[in-house]
Amino acid sequence: MNATVASEYSAEVHSVPIEHRFNPYSDNGGTVLGIAGEDFAVLAGDTRQVVGYSINSRYEPKIFDVGDDIVMTANGFAADGAALIDRFRNQLKWYKFDHGGKKLSIKSAARYIQHLLYGKRFFPYYVSTLIAGLDDEGKGAVYSYDPVGSYEREQCRAGGAAASLIMPFLDNQVNFKNQYEPGTDGKKKKELRYLTLPEVLDLVKDAFSSATERHIQVGDGLEILIVTKEGIRTEYHPLKRD
Amino acid sequence: MKAVENGGTSIGIKCKDGVVLAVEKIINSKLLVPGRNKRIQTIDRHIGVVYSGLLPDGRHFVNRGRDEAQSFKSIYKTPVSVPHLMDRLGIYVQNYTCYNSVRPFGVVSIVGGVDDNGPHLYMIEPSGTCWGYSGAATGKGRQTAKSELEKLNYEELTVREAVKVAAKIIHQAHEDNKDKDYELEISWVSKEETGGLHQFVPEELLEEARKLAEDDEGEEDEEMES
Amino acid sequence: MNHDPFLWGRPSNDTYGAYNHAIAQASVQEATHDQLDQFPKKHTQQPIITGTSVIALKYKDGIIMAADTMGSYGSLMRFNNIERLFRVGKETVVGISGDISDMQQLHRILNELETDEEVYDNDGGHNLRAPHVHEYLTRILYNRRSKMDPLWNAVLVGGFNDDGSPFLKYVDLLGVAYGSSTLATGFGNHLAIPLLRQLIPNDTDYVNVTEEQAKKVVMDCMRVLFYRDARSFDKFSMVTIKDGGKGFDFEKNIKIDNQSWRFARDIKGYGSKQE
Repeated sequence: MNATVASEYSAEVHSVPIEHRFNPYSDNGGTVLGIAGEDFAVLAGDTRQVVGYSINSRYEPKIFDVGDDIVMTANGFAADGAALIDRFRNQLKWYKFDHGGKKLSIKSAARYIQHLLYGKRFFPYYVSTLIAGLDDEGKGAVYSYDPVGSYEREQCRAGGAAASLIMPFLDNQVNFKNQYEPGTDGKKKKELRYLTLPEVLDLVKDAFSSATERHIQVGDGLEILIVTKEGIRTEYHPLKRD
Repeated sequence: MKAVENGGTSIGIKCKDGVVLAVEKIINSKLLVPGRNKRIQTIDRHIGVVYSGLLPDGRHFVNRGRDEAQSFKSIYKTPVSVPHLMDRLGIYVQNYTCYNSVRPFGVVSIVGGVDDNGPHLYMIEPSGTCWGYSGAATGKGRQTAKSELEKLNYEELTVREAVKVAAKIIHQAHEDNKDKDYELEISWVSKEETGGLHQFVPEELLEEARKLAEDDEGEEDEEMES
Repeated sequence: MNHDPFLWGRPSNDTYGAYNHAIAQASVQEATHDQLDQFPKKHTQQPIITGTSVIALKYKDGIIMAADTMGSYGSLMRFNNIERLFRVGKETVVGISGDISDMQQLHRILNELETDEEVYDNDGGHNLRAPHVHEYLTRILYNRRSKMDPLWNAVLVGGFNDDGSPFLKYVDLLGVAYGSSTLATGFGNHLAIPLLRQLIPNDTDYVNVTEEQAKKVVMDCMRVLFYRDARSFDKFSMVTIKDGGKGFDFEKNIKIDNQSWRFARDIKGYGSKQE
């Protein structure tokens, strides 16, 4: 290339990265949480959507009944979340067309979502994805994902803005981490057991009201979708709006 | 080739204030829902079309018309004029006569619309021949219809009057095809009556025109010259 | 004459060396295609001429939306008579802020949507309503952002659901979408939303708001925006849609009334004055 003297123009010559670039992502806050019980599963999320310090909406649901008794959420960048769920719904519809209306099991749904996410490995969906439902034996199931499709089945998982606040609480209260039998001097771990639905709902409400206190992007309302063998039902509880 | 011209009769009438299109829609099955499956279509807000012949070919012709109209609008931000649209469609239809891998269009289409230069009526044939008319007819009853159309005074006729005339002509043309039932479809496009939009005529007006045409059946045409 | 602005009045090549035409793919005269290929393909632009906030709210009979009529070129008032509210179909209004050329592109796309769904529809099927328009816009904007070639706009869509209840939603250049009884884009998000939420604290409270109250708060919002948003204007348009779409009222050339700039003289510490 031509030898040039420093000037407004020549300084740019080899600086290949152009300084300002369109950022295709934003963080829309919010937090979500899934817990599996013995014969039920719940997915819960707050209904606030934010960008920066602005509240976009106090009621923008982000947990959806996607069909076949599966509930799904994708928390993080709202546009990607909506797009991912739209795509999954659409694929589920085609699965039914192609297989004579066969029900998609939660484990197949889970694997399929991995493909949706990993398919955009190099331009990822910027979301924490959770799905919940019942497995082939009728036991509660929660699957969680990272943005590029790594997934596992768990008893419980928190995702989104306040995940780091809620997850340790869940470890302690659902999986009884660091809990010991009284009088055993920390020798005997508290035995694991399934929580009942009322216990789980109380945990969820406590988790969200606490997260609302400590995280500015969480609040306004709590929507819980509950999957049992009877179907899916929804509960709504107000949260603090400050 | 000419067999394609044996569908229900379609006519178009160009008046001083707009254009009226009408078609004798042959009812092929009693199971078809009355008032649905419309035969008259819209190419652009201000342009309507009706045709006789192979109906799927007609649908394709209309789709092409819509693409042309939309592309013109997208480039010039002004609605396409009727003559210009007909130029383009003429070229398109003619092209199908040039290759042995395709067959020509199996429809004769009557296209009517209003633009800045007033009302226009065109008829386009499978050969690509495309001429402007004051009154146009095609389909099985075209001879009857044409002789009726020749009696009209196009300088004075208004679309409101022409709706009734059209109903009557279609009714008369149906004589050639009496064994089958038909449904009457009439649309109009006029600055005064529809604000320059191509629309189906209101239910009451259609009903009035249809009644008039059926009542006049016995006595022959006298008050045709208006 | 050479029409490349980069070559006008540039200091002589002897001093600064020749201009590198590969920069911004300005002009290809001297640059080879190999050189051009070394630069990333540049889709992404920046907004050039922009429109500022659009505000909207639900009230008991429907929707009110407003936007001023200015097109800014940076800090220059480049146009003062640009209409940024558009009617789509029978009972839907779309308000667009951000880049004006992208707005015009969206307007064209919406016009084609309207022709496809309403004009070509012969058998009188279902109508094009606000939720459909919003979903369609969301797809367009999200697909463009996914190509890293966004349409630089934030858009409000107002109208009615199939059941006749009012519909109001937002979507922007990223494809982020949300609904609320009170919405605003850009600066309006900071200045107008608090005033609107004062009238409608909870999402469902719009059912108690009269048209008079709603129009008053819109005027207040536009006034506050004119006071504090330097890219705003005192002439605006307002659309009122009510009764499930039976009334569509498009008011143009509304002037912001009751202006009082007395507060301005008490502002200290921002301007050139040293205090």
